Amino acid sequence: MFKNYLTLALRVLTRRKFFTFISLFGISFTLGILMVLISFLDSSLGENPPLSDKGDMVFVSNLNLARYHYDSTMIIDTNLVLEEMVFDTSYDVAEAGSSNWNSSVNNGIFQNYFDDLSSSRMMTIFNSDNSYVVFKDEVKLEMAVALTDANYWKVFDHQFLEGRSFDDREVQNAAPVVVITDEIADEHFGRKSDVLGEEIVLDGKSHKIIGVFKHIGKLISFVSPDAVIPYTHQNLANQSTFYHGSYSAIFLAKDGASTDALKEDIEAACETIPLDHPDNENGYTEAKMFPASFDEMFARGIYYDRDASKSLRIMKWALFGILAFFVILPTLNLINLNISRILERSSEIGVRKAFGASSSHIMGQFIIENIIQTLIGGVIGLVLAILLIYFINSAELMGRADLMMNWKFFVWSFLITLLFGVLSGLLPSLKMSKMQIVKALKETQL
Amino acid sequence: MLQLSNISKIYRTKTIETTALHQINLDIKQGEFLSIMGPSGCGKSTLLNIMGLLDEPSQGHLLVDGQQINNYSSKSTSRFRNEKIGFIFQSFHLIPDLKVIDNVELPLLYRSISGKERRRLASEALDSVGLANRKAHFPSQLSGGQKQRVAIARAIVGRPKIILADEPTGNLDSVMGDEVMDILINLNKESGATIVMVTHDERMAKKTDRLVRLYDGAQVA
Repeated sequence: MFKNYLTLALRVLTRRKFFTFISLFGISFTLGILMVLISFLDSSLGENPPLSDKGDMVFVSNLNLARYHYDSTMIIDTNLVLEEMVFDTSYDVAEAGSSNWNSSVNNGIFQNYFDDLSSSRMMTIFNSDNSYVVFKDEVKLEMAVALTDANYWKVFDHQFLEGRSFDDREVQNAAPVVVITDEIADEHFGRKSDVLGEEIVLDGKSHKIIGVFKHIGKLISFVSPDAVIPYTHQNLANQSTFYHGSYSAIFLAKDGASTDALKEDIEAACETIPLDHPDNENGYTEAKMFPASFDEMFARGIYYDRDASKSLRIMKWALFGILAFFVILPTLNLINLNISRILERSSEIGVRKAFGASSSHIMGQFIIENIIQTLIGGVIGLVLAILLIYFINSAELMGRADLMMNWKFFVWSFLITLLFGVLSGLLPSLKMSKMQIVKALKETQL
Repeated sequence: MLQLSNISKIYRTKTIETTALHQINLDIKQGEFLSIMGPSGCGKSTLLNIMGLLDEPSQGHLLVDGQQINNYSSKSTSRFRNEKIGFIFQSFHLIPDLKVIDNVELPLLYRSISGKERRRLASEALDSVGLANRKAHFPSQLSGGQKQRVAIARAIVGRPKIILADEPTGNLDSVMGDEVMDILINLNKESGATIVMVTHDERMAKKTDRLVRLYDGAQVA
C-alpha cells in the first residue's frame, strides 16, 4: 500500500509542476531557516564538547554588596473630638533605597568561601576578558586569553590534539606555559604540525606551548578562548578590593545533586563572606550572588534580569515566538494549499471510499503523501541550511561563534520536517476523510 | 441478495423538502441481473447509491446479503462494502495518476493481501476484460470503451457478490456499449454475481433479467 501511495504522491507532484514548485519553495525555505535555528541552539546550548557537563553547571559572575537606607515619615492629621480640634500623628519607617556595588569577584572570595560547597563537585575560576596582541614575523594576531586554574580542563572537556593541559602545581608556581587552539597554532606558526615547545610572548612574558586543543567557536568567550594560561600570571594583589576583582566561577553539581540545590548552597555561602573587612569602606551590610545555570546565563546575555530564571523564561517565549512565526504561519499556508490541492481529488476520495477505504485509510494516504512532499522540501531545505551555515561561519557573521552540524542537527532536522509534514497534512486529510461519498463522486475531475 | 423495504429518501433544506425516492420495495435475488430505468432526476442513481451503502435512506430498511447496516461511516461498513460490492460508474472514475493495473488493484489495497497476490488478481481481472496488454498504460492513453473495461476489472477484482453499475454504457458509442454489456452479461452468467444496472438505454435494459421503472421517485413497474 505504501508503494502505491508513494507512486501516487510522486505522480501528483510532477503533474502540477508550478504548484509543486510553490509548495516546495515554501517548505524548503521554512525548514532551511528552522535547521539554521536548530544548529544555532545546538551550537550555543547543546551538551557537546566542551560543554558535555553543561547540565551540571552553575555560573557566578558577580558579587553584589548592598546597603539599605531607611527613611522615617511623620504624618500629621487633624480630627475634631468633642468639637475640639486635636492632632493625630503617625510615624513610619520604610526602606527608601539601597546602594549597591556589583562587580566581578576577587579570586580569593571564591577560593576561601566557596571551595567546599556540599552539592558542588568542582569549581573553576577564570578571567576571560583578556585580549592580547602577539606578533609573529611582523604579523599582528589578536588572541582572547583565559586566565584560569587547572580545574578549567575538567569542567570543560576540550578536545586535545597535541600535548596536555597545565596542572595544579604549574598554576601554583605560575609556570610560563600556555595551551592554544589549533586555529591559533595554524595562524601563528603556519600549518606546522609540531608547535609543542614553541614560545609565544604574552603580555611581555614568554610562554611555552604545552598543548593544542581543537577550536570550537562559541558565543560565550570563556568556553572557547584562543589561549589559556594559569591565572597566577595575573598580579592578583592588584585587584580592586578584598571583595571584587576580575574573576567569575563555574561550579559543577555533584552526581545526584540538582543545580537548584547548588544555587541555594552558593547563596547560603554568600552569608559567610565577612563584611567587616577594611575594604568595606561604605559599610555594606549584605553580600549576594545571583547564580545561574548555563542556559540562564546565556539568556541573561540577551535579556538581563537578576532573577536568571526570568531571563530564561523570556528567552524561551521569544524563541517560541520565532518558531511560531517560522512554523505556524507557513504551516497554515501549506494547509491552505493542500486543501485546494486535495479538493481537486475529491472524486478519487469518493472512489476509494466506495471501494472500501475507511476514513483512516484516506487520512493515512494524504498524510503520507504530504510527508513525502515535506521530506523532499526537507532535503532541499537541508542543502539550503548547510550552504547558509557555511556562509555564516566563513563570513564570521556570528563573531567568534561557529554554527555546528552534528548528528543531533540531522536528527532534529529530520524530526522537525516530519512534524511539519504531519501538521500541515493533518487538517486537510481530516477534512477530506469526512467527505460524503456521494458528494465526492459528483466531482467530475477524474 | 438485496432487500429494500419502504425505502424513501428525502432531501431537506430550510425552506424546501424534496422527495427523491418514495417507498421503494424491491427484492433482488442472488445471480439476478436487474436494470433500473426512468427519466433524468427520477431517483435511479439515488436508489443505486442506497443499495451500494454510499448513501443513507431517510426511511425504510435495507438488507444486503442478509445484513442490515446501521452505521454508514463505520470501519465495518467500509470493510463490508469492500468485500460485497463492486461499482461501475458512468464517468469511469479511474485515478489518472495511477497505471491501469494500479487502478484495478485499488479495492484490494484495503484488504490484507500481499502485493504479489494483488498483482496476480488484478492481472487476472484485466485478462477477463481483454485488456492484459494495457496494464502499464495510464487511463488517459485509453479509449472510452477501454476505460470502462478497466472500471469493470476494478469492480470484479475483489470478487464481490453484488455489482452496481450506474449507466455503464452512457458515455460510450453503441459498439463499445455492446462490448461492455456483453462483458457484464458474461460476468453475471459465469460468476453468478448479482448485477443492478441503471440505464437510459431501453435496448440494454432488455438484455437483463428484470426491468424496474422509476418515475418521480416511485416505482411504476
